[in-house]
Amino acid sequence: MKKNAVGVRHRNELNPAQKVVMWLFLLVVAVLMALPMWNVIVVSTSSTLESSRSGVVLWWHEFSIEGFKYVFEVSKLAKPFLNSLFVTTVGTVIQVLLSSIAGYVLIQRDLPFKGFITSFVMLTMMIPGDLTMISIYQLNRDLGLLNTYTGLILNGLISGFSILLMRNYFESISFTLAESARIDGASEMRIFAGIFLPISLPGLATVFFMEYVARWNSITIPAAILTNEAMYTLPLKLKAMILSTNSTSGTAQIPDNAIMAAIIITAAPLLLIYVFAQKFLLSGLNLGATKE
Amino acid sequence: MAEKTLNPQKIREENKGKKLMMKLKRYRFIYLMLIPVVVYFLVFSYYPMLLGVVNSFREIRLLGGAAFVGWKNYQTILSSPVYSQAFVNTLIVGAGTFVLQFAWGLLLALCLNEIRRKATRSFFQTITYIPYLLSWAVVGSIWITLLSPSGLINGLLQVIQGESFRKVVFMSERSYARGIMIFTGAWKGAGYFAALFLAAIISINPTLYEAASIDGASRFQQMFCITIPAVVPTIKVVTMLGVMGMLRNFDQIFVMANSNIMDKVRNLLYLIYNEGIVQFKIGPASAAACVVLLATMVISFTVRKLIKYDQIG
Repeated sequence: MKKNAVGVRHRNELNPAQKVVMWLFLLVVAVLMALPMWNVIVVSTSSTLESSRSGVVLWWHEFSIEGFKYVFEVSKLAKPFLNSLFVTTVGTVIQVLLSSIAGYVLIQRDLPFKGFITSFVMLTMMIPGDLTMISIYQLNRDLGLLNTYTGLILNGLISGFSILLMRNYFESISFTLAESARIDGASEMRIFAGIFLPISLPGLATVFFMEYVARWNSITIPAAILTNEAMYTLPLKLKAMILSTNSTSGTAQIPDNAIMAAIIITAAPLLLIYVFAQKFLLSGLNLGATKE
Repeated sequence: MAEKTLNPQKIREENKGKKLMMKLKRYRFIYLMLIPVVVYFLVFSYYPMLLGVVNSFREIRLLGGAAFVGWKNYQTILSSPVYSQAFVNTLIVGAGTFVLQFAWGLLLALCLNEIRRKATRSFFQTITYIPYLLSWAVVGSIWITLLSPSGLINGLLQVIQGESFRKVVFMSERSYARGIMIFTGAWKGAGYFAALFLAAIISINPTLYEAASIDGASRFQQMFCITIPAVVPTIKVVTMLGVMGMLRNFDQIFVMANSNIMDKVRNLLYLIYNEGIVQFKIGPASAAACVVLLATMVISFTVRKLIKYDQIG
């Protein structure tokens, strides 16, 4: 890089040796991170015989969907899948509705006690759900919510974070719209449902997808309130399947291709959301970042 | 609405209480709308937290009934070998994960920043970010299967070692247990840290690099004199996030631990879950949760302060 003589175009780059090291590092890291995931894809769509054979499996020897058949027919993955789908979807829809209402309340100008209400909501973000797990368990037991769909939906139904997101989104909308509607005599419900919700669809979508992902992945609440296997959500079911396999004992009970298929089924809905709703998730990061 | 028709002069003359009443009346529907949310938070957020604190001072018997026992539960957990072991595990696995993830993420960000072609860069960034998007149920299951006797890792070992190869049952080797947790934790989170660092690096004013380069600093020197100092605020935030994550790592251990390696990897949160919910020792488990909660709150308060000062979201 010392050839800085006049006329020689100076390029601000690493020297060749450093570049080699850099690309080597990138390559190793990329392989380290991609290889396991690739292995999952290949093994899940290989035949049971192939997948049980030890060795490095990075390409199909024999393409087959036996693994997927197995998880639905033998491991009965359909029930946990539907459980997850049901509680996640219902819970998230209610959550979006309630957090948009709360967000709307928090943008009212000169609302008495607004500061207090805001702190009341924000403080809940400081209470980590995983640490109050035992009390959550007791609460659910006392309310008769253990092993119920209602319990799975109710716990974590509203989060301070999604309220914050909605508030920040609403704040980016002109408030004068509401003022003028109010002067025209529109009811609060009409202003909210007729004016704010329709123009906030992107914001609603953002909260929907963010919370959907979090809820789909959630393992703490199901672990705390479920004991009945018929109620298991996908993450719990996956864990139960993994525990009964050859990972520790050496005797395979569930073939590897079935495990990998279950992994794919658990991850697939999320990856789909990441691919198709990335726009909303990214704008969620921005909304969350402009706090206070 | 009535307020609108009054003239401003008159309003100012009204006493404060009356004004408040009018506002309350005007916003009554707004308050009504908020009721479900307030009730929810009271029941599912504030009450459990309060209950946790109260229970940490109580002894709860299985057949109903509870008695206050003062600091006894706290004494129990502080003198309990199981809890101190869980504390040690939390520290070792947590700190190990953080250090590895930090180094991995920072190096990755520095390298990604050197890639000129945008498409290549986003290719590498996407690959390294995907593990962060997956849940612990998925990541844990992937690695448990890869590390199983018929998994990919044993396959690779077979290729490397040839004749002398013997299958390793990784997930029941006590000596590997913590290493596996640390590695998989960093594997999952490195792409996230890299993204945080890269965001800070990209916002560096490019003229700084130009000036340094004209002054004869090599690209490598610039890394240490411009890039690294510029990411110091992010490093602070990431460190706090790391410490919080260390204390609150339930999912990984819940999914990946098994009885063979339990005493090597069981951390505080997993122990609290196990003691409190599975074994019904609610008092001591609540006390432990309170201690961790307090630590988390102190840290998250610090994070907020840091984030505010450094303008990083």
